[in-house]
Amino acid sequence: MDIIRITLKGIFRDRVFQGIMALGVLFLFIPSAASLSMRQVTELSITLSLSLISFILLLLAVFLGATSLWKDMERRYMVSVISLPISRSSYLLGRFFGLALFLILTSTVLGVVAGVMIKLASGIYPSDRPIIWSWYVLAIVFATLKYILLIAVAMLLSTVSTSFFLPIFGTICVFLASGITQQVYEYVHSPISAQTVSPFLKTVSSLVYYILPNLAGFDLKVNAIYSIPPNPAGLVLTGAYFIVYTVALLGGSALLFNRREIG
Amino acid sequence: MFAIDIQGLSKSYKTKRHLTVNALKELTLSVEQGEVFGFLGPNGAGKSTTIKCLLGLIRPTSGTATIMGDSVTGDNYRRKVGYLPENPAFYDYLGAEEYLLFVGRIFKMQEELLARRTVDCLKLLELWDARKRPLRSYSKGMVQRLGLAQVLLHDPDVYILDEPMSGLDPIGRALVKDIILDLKRRGKCVFFSTHITDDVEKVCDRVAIINRGMLQVVDKVDNILQQGIEGYDVRTTAANGQVEELFIEKNALQSFIQQSINNQTSIERIEPRRKNIEAFFLDVVAQQ
Repeated sequence: MDIIRITLKGIFRDRVFQGIMALGVLFLFIPSAASLSMRQVTELSITLSLSLISFILLLLAVFLGATSLWKDMERRYMVSVISLPISRSSYLLGRFFGLALFLILTSTVLGVVAGVMIKLASGIYPSDRPIIWSWYVLAIVFATLKYILLIAVAMLLSTVSTSFFLPIFGTICVFLASGITQQVYEYVHSPISAQTVSPFLKTVSSLVYYILPNLAGFDLKVNAIYSIPPNPAGLVLTGAYFIVYTVALLGGSALLFNRREIG
Repeated sequence: MFAIDIQGLSKSYKTKRHLTVNALKELTLSVEQGEVFGFLGPNGAGKSTTIKCLLGLIRPTSGTATIMGDSVTGDNYRRKVGYLPENPAFYDYLGAEEYLLFVGRIFKMQEELLARRTVDCLKLLELWDARKRPLRSYSKGMVQRLGLAQVLLHDPDVYILDEPMSGLDPIGRALVKDIILDLKRRGKCVFFSTHITDDVEKVCDRVAIINRGMLQVVDKVDNILQQGIEGYDVRTTAANGQVEELFIEKNALQSFIQQSINNQTSIERIEPRRKNIEAFFLDVVAQQ
């Protein structure tokens, strides 16, 4: 709890939240930007809102997740903290949950602000399709889970790296790759690829598919935008996947971090 | 039970060119409870490596260590330890008071006791007026004093201080010496590394000298000073009133005194002229 509290204090005192709020000004332009599409104002306002929230959460996950441990090591704060009667795993988990909590707080605030903007936009140009707010909330919840998982990826990379390059660029690469692994996997295992994809490449892509996180299932934007009911079984599966994968990443991080020499 | 017991501790590193560096070689050392122990050595001798092994920051290649009977491989033994790192750094967005409260909570101190100890430590280390200011605005000496405050906060049995005088002005150094002497009076064990020999001479009961990862000497400070006596500066006044300043060899003092009595010469003053710890330290290092 103490590490979580310290992590949150650090984020707020480094004025990260103020920075997000400044970026949040962009939400004010959503109704006018959405009005450019005369027929799909509501849909476009939801698209822009969810995309902007997603982008801000991505920035936070990559930069806070990747620099949190690195900064503590670089500035030698870690020596002072790890030498207290606290296990390294508790420290790592405290950092993770502190960042995760901040992400939840940010997505809640941005979700409310964006919701107001969507309501405004849809009020000016009513849509044929009703906005289903619970699905909008669900889309934000799953986006938040996706970026919390990305924080765990960044932390895993931080535990093996001495600089911020690997955690930052590694996390970005994982994020980019994890959005398309599902399509690649489906393609290389389809009959259409039998002639063009070698068995070796097929094995490699399968391996990468199982190692990298699959973030495609967390994307519920389409459901929120077009009021399409999400598949409950799929949601449960994605939720379970989030828990299992995050626990595995944190377990691996703790294992590596426990072996790391801090000096 | 020893406060600190180190048995055959070794630490080697692999460099980027796959060379092996033996930072610490078979160090065996015991420190009693209630003892102030100075750990001397030149830069790169292995002092900080030893301390980092004791605090679990790095893993020894071989050997064992215990603090108050508990192996240093766990986490709980640190409840009995106050550790001041070399050139300490603390979360710079916190104030001194906030940082001490954070440390006290990690030590699971009772809130009431923690609040009282926080006030005491901040006042003792003269940080009371600056307690709310973020640490990023502190001078190096103030950060060092905060480091000492967080060490004292939970009143541990064992204090491990890595270069505690570093970055302090003469007033701060005197304060730290007073604190160490007070801890000694209260029966606490203080193990501190330094390369400033004057500090050792003033506050330590025993001293160890380490060089190139190997323990060279462990001895009582009094013994070292006693063995270091080269002779005596003597001031005499003869029967006719003539005053003389003489240097008498260590072994010739008794016969000189006898001779002075026979000659009816009065001895005004006898002062031992001795090598200090610094000279002893330099001799030990030079021998290697």
